[in-house]
Amino acid sequence: MAFHTKKTRSDDETVKAPPSRSLTRDAMRRLMKNRGAVAGGIILLLLIFAAIFADFVAPYSATEGDILNNYAAPTAAHPFGCDFMGRDVLSRLLFGARISLAAGFVGAITAFAIGVTFGLISGFFGGKTDNFMMRIVDIMYGFPTLLLIILLMVFFKSSFSVSGVAGAGLRGVLSNLDRSMGGMFFIFLGIGLTSWLGMARLVRGMTLSVRNTEYVESARAIGTSRTRILFRHILPNVLGPAIVAQALQIPGFIQYEAFLSFIGLGVNPPTPSWGMMLSQGYLAMRSHFHLVLWPALAISITLFAFNFLGDGVRDAFDPRQTR
Amino acid sequence: MFSFIVRRILWTIPVILIVSSITFLLMHSVPGSPFTRERALPAAIQKNLEAKYHLDDPLWKQYIDYMYGFLRLDFGPSIAYRSRTVNDILAQQWPVTATLGGVAFLFAVVMGIPLGVLSAVKQNTLIDHGSMVVAMLGVSIPAIALGPFLIWIFALKLKWFPVATWGSPSHIVLPALTLSTAYLARFARITRASMLQVVREEYILAARAKGLREIVVNLRHAFRNALIPVTTIAGPAFADIVTGSLVVEQIFAIPGIGKYYVQSIGNRDYPVIMATTLLFALVIVLMNLLVDISYAMLDPRIRYS
Repeated sequence: MAFHTKKTRSDDETVKAPPSRSLTRDAMRRLMKNRGAVAGGIILLLLIFAAIFADFVAPYSATEGDILNNYAAPTAAHPFGCDFMGRDVLSRLLFGARISLAAGFVGAITAFAIGVTFGLISGFFGGKTDNFMMRIVDIMYGFPTLLLIILLMVFFKSSFSVSGVAGAGLRGVLSNLDRSMGGMFFIFLGIGLTSWLGMARLVRGMTLSVRNTEYVESARAIGTSRTRILFRHILPNVLGPAIVAQALQIPGFIQYEAFLSFIGLGVNPPTPSWGMMLSQGYLAMRSHFHLVLWPALAISITLFAFNFLGDGVRDAFDPRQTR
Repeated sequence: MFSFIVRRILWTIPVILIVSSITFLLMHSVPGSPFTRERALPAAIQKNLEAKYHLDDPLWKQYIDYMYGFLRLDFGPSIAYRSRTVNDILAQQWPVTATLGGVAFLFAVVMGIPLGVLSAVKQNTLIDHGSMVVAMLGVSIPAIALGPFLIWIFALKLKWFPVATWGSPSHIVLPALTLSTAYLARFARITRASMLQVVREEYILAARAKGLREIVVNLRHAFRNALIPVTTIAGPAFADIVTGSLVVEQIFAIPGIGKYYVQSIGNRDYPVIMATTLLFALVIVLMNLLVDISYAMLDPRIRYS
C-alpha cells in the first residue's frame, strides 16, 4: 500500500471547498459531516436540557427517598431502581447532570480566567516579568495535581464548610456560598487553582507572537495606549484558540469532580453527584449492580460525547490535523 | 548536553523547595491536629504529644527541621502509626504503587503503540475506525466507573480474579487494567496521529523511491520518527499513572502509597503527607527530565547547549 498517493478526507475537502466560504462556515460544514461529533453534540444538548430542566423532567425528588423502596430493583415506577435510601436513581442521575456539567463548565471557566490573565500579563510585559512568571509555572508543573487538589479540598472543607454556624466576614460568606451550592463552590475553586498552568503557557506564547505582529506595531505607532492594545488587539486574537483548548479540558474537570465526590471530598450529601452515586453503589455492588451501572454509564457517555465533539471541533478548525 | 542535564537536575531544587513549602503551609492550615479525637485528650497529654513531635515549635522551625531531615533522607516518625517511621511506610507501600503503576504503564505502551501503528497503516479502514472508537471509549471511561465494572464482570461473575486487595500476581490484573486503559487509548491515538504526519514527509518518499519494502519503510523510517511525540507524552503519562494509582488504590483497597496519602490527610499525619507529595513531585520532575533527554536521542536535529 502506498501512503503518499492516498488522500485523506480533509485533503479532499480543501480541494472541493469553494474559496468564497468563510473559515468558520467551512469548519462548521466539516464538523457537520463528522458523524461522531454530531452525535456527541446531540447527546450534550440533551444533557444540558436535562440539567437545566431537571426539576420538570425528573419523576421524583433527588434527595428525598421512600425508605420502603431501598435497593428496589428497576420497575415501571422506578425504571433505574432505587438506591440505599430508596431514592429514585433516574431522578438522581438527571439532577447529577447539573453537578457534572457545572463542574466541567465552571471549573473550565475558573481555570481559564486564571490562566488567561496570567499568560496575558506574562507575554505582554515580557522580559524579566515574563521570565519570573514562567518559572513559577515551571515549578508548579512539578506539583502532583491530584495530591494538591485533595489537600486543597480538605483545607476548604474543614476550614470553611464544617465549621457549623457560619462565621462572619469572608469566611462566613464563602461558607454560605459553598453550602448553598451543595459543596460545589470549593470544587470550582479547587479545579481552577490547580488546572490553569497549561492555559497560562498557551496564552503567553500566543501573546508573545501577536505582540510582535505588524498591526500591533502600527497601533503602537499611532499612540494607542498599552491597555487598549492589550484588550482591543491582543486579547481578541488570543481568545479563540484558548477557548477551544480549554473546551478540550472539560472532560478532565468532570472526572475531577466525580473522583473527589467518590472519595467523599466533593459535593456534600445529599447533593446527587455521579461520583458520589458510584461510591455509594459500589458498597452494595455485589447484590445491587444497577446502583453502579447507571451512574457509570451516565458519566462515561457524557465524557464520550465531550471527547467526540471536542475532537471534531479541533479537526474542523485545523484540517491538517489527522487525529 | 551534559551541562543541560546538570542544569535540569539543579532545577529540581527550587521545585522541591516550593512544592514542599506550599504543601507544608497548606496542611498546617487545615484545622485540627493529629491528636483530635472524639473525646478530647487531657490538656497535659496533648501538650506532651505535641512536644514529642515538635508540633509546638514555630512553623518555620518545623519546616527547617523537616527539610533538614529530608536532606538526610530521614522523613521522620509517622504520627498516626506510632510504631512506624515514614521511611518504613515508604519502604513498604511505595513498591506496591510502583509495581501497579509500572505494570499499567507497560501495558499501555505495549498495547497502545502497536494499536496506533496498525490504525495508521490501515488508515480509513474498518480496523482503523474500530480501534479509534475503542480508543475513544478508553479515554472516556473514568477509573471510578471502569474499576467497579471490571470487578463485577471478572471478579464477581466470572471469578477469574480476586475482587480487591493485594498480594498475588492475579491481584494486579484488574487494577492495572483500570489504571492503564485511559493511557493505552491516549498512546494509540497519538501514535496514529504522529504516524500519519510522518508518512507525508519527503524522507519517507525517498525511502520508498529507493525500493525499500513497505514494512521496512513503515517500521524503520516512519515509526522511529513517529515515536518522538509519543515519548513526549510517555514521561508525563508515567508520572500521571503513578499519581493516578491513588484513585485505583481507593477502588481496589490496595495498600499503596496513594491510599496512605488519603488516610494521612484525614489523620493529619503531617510527615506522611509531606513525604508522599515530595516523592510524587520527584517522579514528575524526573520524568520530564527523561523526556528532554530522550528527545535528543531520538531526533538528531535536537541539540541542547
